[in-house]
Parts: sequence; C-alpha cells; structure tokens
Amino acid sequence: MRGTPGVLGYHGNARGSWIGNPSSNVSIDMLDDKLIKGLLLRTAARDEGSAQAFERLYKLCAPLLLGVAKRIVGRQELAEEILHDSFTKIWTTADRFDVLANQPVAWMVSIARNRAIDTMARHDVSRVQSYHDDALDDPDGALDQLFDWSESVDDSEDRRRASAWMRDCLGRLQGMERQSLVLAYVQGLSHGELAAHLRKPLGTVKSWIRRGVANLRQCVETCMGTAR
Amino acid sequence: MRIADHRLLDALCAEYLIGTLRGGARRRFEAAVQNEPLVALRLRHWEATATPRYSKMIEVQPPARVWQQLERELDLPSYRLRWYQRTVFWKAWASVATAALLVLLVVAGRSPPSAPPPAVQIAQLTGAGGATQVIAQRSRDGRSLVLKANRPVLAGPNQSYELWLIPGPGRAPVSLAVLGNLDATITLAQDTADQLRTGATLAVSAEPAGGSPTGQPTGAVILAGPVTA
Repeated sequence: MRGTPGVLGYHGNARGSWIGNPSSNVSIDMLDDKLIKGLLLRTAARDEGSAQAFERLYKLCAPLLLGVAKRIVGRQELAEEILHDSFTKIWTTADRFDVLANQPVAWMVSIARNRAIDTMARHDVSRVQSYHDDALDDPDGALDQLFDWSESVDDSEDRRRASAWMRDCLGRLQGMERQSLVLAYVQGLSHGELAAHLRKPLGTVKSWIRRGVANLRQCVETCMGTAR
Repeated sequence: MRIADHRLLDALCAEYLIGTLRGGARRRFEAAVQNEPLVALRLRHWEATATPRYSKMIEVQPPARVWQQLERELDLPSYRLRWYQRTVFWKAWASVATAALLVLLVVAGRSPPSAPPPAVQIAQLTGAGGATQVIAQRSRDGRSLVLKANRPVLAGPNQSYELWLIPGPGRAPVSLAVLGNLDATITLAQDTADQLRTGATLAVSAEPAGGSPTGQPTGAVILAGPVTA
C-alpha cells in the first residue's frame, strides 16, 4: 500500500498543503504528447510538410519553453535567446528524438532547461540575488506553479499514477532534501549556487541532493511495486 | 566505462533530469543516452515517471520576432509545400480561368509530392485478459511494422517488452524489437519482412530491462496473434 510509514520522518498527510489544491488549476488545452510526437517525427522527415509541422510545434510549445527558460535565467531577452537556440536545436536534432519515448514535451523542455543552465554558467552571473525571493522562500509554491498536478481525463492511467506517486513521494522527503531538489529543478541552480543560497557547505548540499534522489527513487519504486 | 554498468545509473538519470549534472559529466551522460540503449531505456523510464504535466500558468508568449528569425535562419520555406500544392492557390485559380489553364499545364508536367504509403493491417495481438489489444500494420513498402495499442502500455521499471516473430509452427522465435511501450514503429530487415506472412505469429513477451538475455523469450508472453498477409 501507499502509506509506507516515515520515509525520512515525514509526518502527517502525504498530500500536504504545500502541494496546493489539485482541483484548482484545471488545464483546458494541455499539450498532447501524441500530437507533439507526431509533429517531431514529421519535422525530422525533412519533406514538404516539415516546416508546417515545426511551426505548429513551435506555436504549441514555445510558450512553455520560454516560461521554463525565464524561470531559470530571470531575464526576458536572455530567455528569448534560449528559446531561439532551443528550437534551432530541436529542428536540427529532431531525428535523434527517440521514437519509442513517450515524453516529447519533457524532451523539448530538457533542451531549453539545459541551454538555460549553460547560459547562466557562461554568463557567470551571480544569480542568487536576482531571484524572485518568493520562489526561493517558497519552493513548494514554485513547484505548484511549474506543474499542474490536477488529474485530467486525457491523461493515461500510467501518467495519472506516476504523477500521484511523484507528488506523494516529494511530500515525504525531509525538508532540506526536498527544498534543494526543488530549487535545483525549478531554478536550475547548481550545487554551488544551492550551497551559496542555503548558506551550507557544498558537501552538505550535495549529500542532500544525493539522498533526496535516492529516497525519491526508493519511494516511487515502492509505489510501483505495490501498485501492480 | 559503459555508463549502463554504472552502479549509480538511476542516480545519474535523476540528477540529469533535475539539472544538477553539469559540464563534462552531463556531456558524457548525453553521449551514453545516444550510444547505450540501456541508458536511454532507463532515462526514458524516469522521464515517464518523474515528469508531471507542466502548468499553463508558467507559459510566456514569445514575441513574433523569435519565430521570424528561426524561419529565416533555418531556411524553413524550402521545407514547405510549393505554391502549386497549396489550396489557396487553387481558390485563386477558380476565379481566373484562363490563367488556370496555363498553370494546369505547368503542374501536370511536375510529379506530385510523394505521400507516405498507407499501411495494411496484418495482425491483431491480444492477451489473456483481452483488455489490451495491439494492431500490427505493415507499411505499403513493406519496410516497417507499426504497432498501435488500444490503450497506452508502458513497461515497468525493471522490464522491457520484446516483440517476436514466429515464422511458422515449431520454428524458433526471431526477435524484432525491444520496446518500452506498445506503440512503436519498427524498421524491418528484408529477410524478416519476407517472413511476415500468413502462417507466422507475432508475440510480445515481458523481459528484463534491455530485452531477453538469451535471444529467445524468457518471460511471459503477454500478447500474441496470427499474421494474415
């Protein structure tokens, strides 16, 4: 059953209030992975329909990729540059998208995230001060803004379950482990930046991340094992 | 060393997805995703498990100039339908009859764009419970096999699905593909394509992650169906 007690001393309801109200943000026209996958494959085909497919892909996904990039770099014009570079990469590497993968949106978002992270490293900007404080002080709220945890009838059963597990398991993580994971993910902070922001030694932050990842994985795998 | 053998493969996948894998370590990992199927499989599993839907709230509408720049730099117009392939053109044609005649002559001289050949259904795979059904289609050119499941079916964390072709009664199964889920397109080798005919059987077994270690099915057969082609 799901309520494996006390992964790292988490107390109380696994769906704690930090998660927000799942029913409060019902998305209407969510990105359809199947459609996006088809558009990516058509883009990779490099035939007469490729530009149309790529344009549709851009119209559907550019706002999300720009939003994700902006969250990491904090500046609109830099985020637009990342959006441009990301779609250049998507156009040139669409044929490397794994046709068996079912998460094309995640694949595209990871291109933008990695590009944003690299940009920040290159610009050598001391970003920690430039963050919106609310995101740093309330990482859980930031996560709720980034993800839509509500259930959608369009989701596959697998996806619904995976989303619920992730939410529960994040909620069970110990405070600092969760906070460092979420900050690293939402803001694209490196180990070093996390250490600076949290005012903790680098080694401590690294081990929070490592333990957070290990505990998250163990928790999700426990859910999987028992959900079959 | 192969990343697939790394004892922290799962942790690497997770740190990659979170974004804390940086620099050379990330480049090595990305190269491994390209070159080592096991690593790709593992990453795909974690991506599917760990990626909730993104919220619409964080979306930011980009200004038109970003797209205009992309269109210019990537030379997108050359990957569009030609002017004579567009419906807009034909609407104009209707109103200018004499010009239409001329254009028609021009168009007739050119070969039409080659449409992807339609596929033919050659098998229906069903399981014991009957809840999952997979249609197998062969492309008209015979070079690929397309699987379409009636519902999304995703392999568990430590397993893969493997698609087998049993050429005839008593013949040994031939592995066609190792799959993470049952919606897939598989490119066929010529000799395999020849064996996909009436009398053969397609089957899917559940195998350890990465596929059967022996080259023959080792796990339970979850779906099977005769080929009629």
